[in-house]
Amino acid sequence: MNPTVELANVYLLALPEIVLTLSACLLFLAGTFRQNRHFWAMKSLGILGAAAFILALPFYRQPVDPLFALQAPNMVQPIVLDRLALLLKIVALIGGAVLVLFSWNEVSDDLAAEYHACLLVIIAGVGLSAMANDLIILFLALEMISIPTYVILYLQKTDLGAREAAAKYFLLSVFSTGLLLFGFSYLYGLCGTTNITALLDGLRSTDAGRLPLIALVALVMVVAGLGFKITAVPFHFYAPDVYQGTSLTSAALLAFVPKVAGFAALLRVLDFVWPGNRPPGVALGTQAPILFWILAAMTMTVGNVLALLQDNLKRILAYSSVAHAGYMLIGLATAPELAHQAAAVGGGQAVVFYLVSYGAMTVGAFAVLAYLSTPQAPIETVDDLAGVSRSHPAVALMMAIFLFSLIGMPLTAGFAGKFFLFLGALEVRPEQAVLFRCLALIAALNAAAGAWYYLRIIAAMYLRTPLRAIDKPATWPGLAAIAVCAAITVALGVYPTPLLQAAKAAVGQ
Amino acid sequence: MFDIRTLLVLIPVLPLLAAAVTGFFGPRFLRKNSHWPCIVAVASSCVLAFLVLGKVAHAEAPLIERYYTWMQTGSLDIGLTLRADGLTALMLITITFVGSWIAIFAVGYMSHEREHEAGYARFFAAVALFVFSMTLLVLGDNYLVMFAGWEGVGLCSYLLIGFWFQKPSAAAAARKAFLVTRLGDAGMMLGILLLWAGYQYAHPQTTASGINFETAFTWASSTLPDDTDTQLFFGTVALLLLCGAVGKSAQIPLYVWLPDAMEGPTPVSALIHAATMVTAGVYLVARSMPIFHAAPPAVLLTVASIGAATALLAALIALTQHDLKRVLAYSTISQIGYMFLALGCATTDGLVLLAVTAAIFHLFTHAFFKALLFLSAGSVMHAMGNVIDMRRFSGLRTVLPTTHWTFLCGAAALAGVPLLSGFWSKDEILGAALEASHHAYGNVYMVLFISGLVTAGLTAFYTFRAYFLTFWGEVKVPPEAGHHVHESPPVMTVPLMVLAVGAVGLGIVVQPFTHWFGHLLEHHWLNSSFGGTIQPAPHGFNIPLMAGSSLFALGGVGLAWLMYVRSPALPGKLAGTMQGLYQLSLNKFHVDELYYVFFVGPATLFAGICQAIDFLVDSVVDLVGQLPGLLGKLVRPIQNGLVQFYALAMILGLTVFLSALVLRMAK
Repeated sequence: MNPTVELANVYLLALPEIVLTLSACLLFLAGTFRQNRHFWAMKSLGILGAAAFILALPFYRQPVDPLFALQAPNMVQPIVLDRLALLLKIVALIGGAVLVLFSWNEVSDDLAAEYHACLLVIIAGVGLSAMANDLIILFLALEMISIPTYVILYLQKTDLGAREAAAKYFLLSVFSTGLLLFGFSYLYGLCGTTNITALLDGLRSTDAGRLPLIALVALVMVVAGLGFKITAVPFHFYAPDVYQGTSLTSAALLAFVPKVAGFAALLRVLDFVWPGNRPPGVALGTQAPILFWILAAMTMTVGNVLALLQDNLKRILAYSSVAHAGYMLIGLATAPELAHQAAAVGGGQAVVFYLVSYGAMTVGAFAVLAYLSTPQAPIETVDDLAGVSRSHPAVALMMAIFLFSLIGMPLTAGFAGKFFLFLGALEVRPEQAVLFRCLALIAALNAAAGAWYYLRIIAAMYLRTPLRAIDKPATWPGLAAIAVCAAITVALGVYPTPLLQAAKAAVGQ
Repeated sequence: MFDIRTLLVLIPVLPLLAAAVTGFFGPRFLRKNSHWPCIVAVASSCVLAFLVLGKVAHAEAPLIERYYTWMQTGSLDIGLTLRADGLTALMLITITFVGSWIAIFAVGYMSHEREHEAGYARFFAAVALFVFSMTLLVLGDNYLVMFAGWEGVGLCSYLLIGFWFQKPSAAAAARKAFLVTRLGDAGMMLGILLLWAGYQYAHPQTTASGINFETAFTWASSTLPDDTDTQLFFGTVALLLLCGAVGKSAQIPLYVWLPDAMEGPTPVSALIHAATMVTAGVYLVARSMPIFHAAPPAVLLTVASIGAATALLAALIALTQHDLKRVLAYSTISQIGYMFLALGCATTDGLVLLAVTAAIFHLFTHAFFKALLFLSAGSVMHAMGNVIDMRRFSGLRTVLPTTHWTFLCGAAALAGVPLLSGFWSKDEILGAALEASHHAYGNVYMVLFISGLVTAGLTAFYTFRAYFLTFWGEVKVPPEAGHHVHESPPVMTVPLMVLAVGAVGLGIVVQPFTHWFGHLLEHHWLNSSFGGTIQPAPHGFNIPLMAGSSLFALGGVGLAWLMYVRSPALPGKLAGTMQGLYQLSLNKFHVDELYYVFFVGPATLFAGICQAIDFLVDSVVDLVGQLPGLLGKLVRPIQNGLVQFYALAMILGLTVFLSALVLRMAK
């Protein structure tokens, strides 16, 4: 095909992201003329709606067949709109809308336009990273997420703690980006191409399991670089410090967005996406499951164990986000083996499912904290939530739903997600059965330990008497954000099948 | 107008919506109009139920619709599947028709609650939720959907018995009802699981699930007569299911919760604890009849014996109670005992139709006359300022003329006065028992038949005792009633009159001459669930039996008249001479106390031992629980806040991974 036509098609695929980015530029400019947070929030909600509309437009005449890939990635296109990209773009747009609602009253008037513009660029970055079929595009997309995040971290709060948080995040993020690029450069050197499909085909054509050492080193570097984004241990250190220092909106953003982009990139670069009839790939060779086994076990254990000791709610949620990244890594560890066995629920599928569930419950929990906080009396420690069930029964109930879901109680999204992940670990057969049963056991013990600190919050909300009055007037956007998250959490728990099937179609196996 | 798929799902969904609307918006927005969603939804469901009856009557086979598959893995196939057949249609009409009128009655009865708006909305939300659960129970096409409805009605019963939860006795009664029925439910759950597991065991290659009605019943009705292992299996399943039925329907030994349940508002007693929920056990046994039929005959004998014994015992207790509602509660227990007696008579293929028709027919008529009696008692209570002790009022027939007439209609129907609906259905039950005495365990069935006859006499006596004590004699009104005692408003009396018409006339219309009831059950339910092996029942009347039971009924009424109108001194003397028996009946044969000594006492002791062990285990677990915390304390120092250290840790981690990789590859 003619390269120009090809390129034009590529632009069409990224139309929603282009709209988001251009609108963000307008917002940056226009922000000087009008300083009103509600006005700009409304605008960005409209822009997200427009992007969603553009995304949906091609499917108006031709509804998506629920089980088949839209288009398999090829060796030419730098970006590709396959099932995984479509699913994650939808998730990103919904998540973006929830974040806008959530920060409706949380940002100051004079910085609102900039804040929302940054948010739009971040959402565009997530969409682009989900579509990237080229190392360079992927890198750019990830930077489109990182750089506005630095700005947001700096914009929102200007006290010392916030500056420390922003600086820490900036330095370590740049550092991890370096690792990622280092890995990318080796991959390019090995295969002579930056197109991910071509690159993986090249790696796969070498004898299975006997990859050159240099390729493995490159892939470990990539995992390390992306490990920062998904807060895998030992790349997680920034999370508690940064979450604690920054505002609740930024913390929610950090807990959700980089994880989606990071896992999307991991799935793509490490060959976990097998659309169509391609054989299950093992680009990382036989070492990959072990690497992810260790990462998963370390990540969930460190996250849960350290969360036990915390009193600060943001730190608890930070460690909880580390722990949940650990659960998701189980899916990556089991994916190759499960694909060989043609298991009912594959590893990558479980990861995508859990990603959505995790996003809903974590953002929801942050949204509740933001809803109850006022600048004078922020909700910071578990004690601040004491007796909330009496002053705000509905919000307390939603918080309880999110926390129960994080624990993994049945009929919530967290249960369904954990069930699929743990089931995968139990289903891995012959040689590695014992190894993966151990992983399932570690995960179960971790889930039990995790229940302790979540239940502590629920107990404080329901069983203790209020230490101080929380008199925050009701604001509908905050409530709407909480309600959307709660609805997703419950819906996925009660009826997981649609998302599970969408996830299966997205990653192939 | 509607296709069957929409119809079936709308019947439970409308009350559910009403419950949600009333529950969420009632206290704030609907306030004094909180009754509207409930009444409109239940009445619409009633209209739809009649449409369903029409569709069922024209359909060849049961109408089954699957709405969504909840879980499907291997042989576990659980779907939200609803079915409509003759039995379902009749149950739906009973529930929604009686339910509508009771909801309307409740508007008047609960009028003093309208001041406390939250309570008013809570009441109607719970009633709507109850109708949802009960319709789901009868619509479900597998044991799991049925169990969901089953637990739902249990919950609503708990909520409504404890409606006035500020009263300690109401809270205790709600707890008792919930716990006692849970005892039975545990057995029922085991029965359902056993059925599923057994089916899987017997059909290893299957993908069908044994908890689906069609699958289970086809298997049960194809059991060969000499296959004793399978028969024993079905016997076990049947007995476990019976546990659930006995708990929910308040039969021996789990009947003790129902009299206490009278703490709830009277419309609730009428709807849940007389007309519908307590008959769920009868529905369960009737629905599972292929399983009971495939079991050894001793199982059905157990059902019949439990029924007859409960009927007699409850009737004996009802003789001496002073509380009008408690008389009616014991009468309900006794009447449901009758239904179990009827179900237990289905020992041969020829008897199934006779027995099941008798039981469901009695369920149907009982729903009308017992709801009527409760509502009339509620009307009395309303006028008497919530006094319900019959020693404190009398001669109300001039004060409450409408209530008097409707109560009389209900009482006559319950007593089995000839030609009223209770007469016909009770007669069919006694006929079935008499018929069963010609087959296996004939002598025992003969005894059960005679005890049923005696119970009929007792029923007539205690019913009219209550009637005469309340409405005859000199006018006596308790001070709580205030100065102007008056008849209830039309919103209460109209439902009474409607139900009275039903209690008097329905029986004769639907069964004894037209046989509509029997035909509906035979052609649109039993034939398909038994695979066509049952034989039609003979039509015709057993005149001597009818004469005998009429004699017992009228004798009971006459005796009551003699003792409570003609010579009111007689009962006192009689009680004096038979002090022991009188006290035994008055104290409900001390069953509650016996249970306390034999079950609660040992249970408390056992709980104490468990508590001690629990403390021990807890301490050990606590010790283990400290471990993660300790581990955390060990790891904590590395989270030192220094960004240089964090970067170093990242590099160190990376190095460890890389060197491990290199070492492995080098090997």
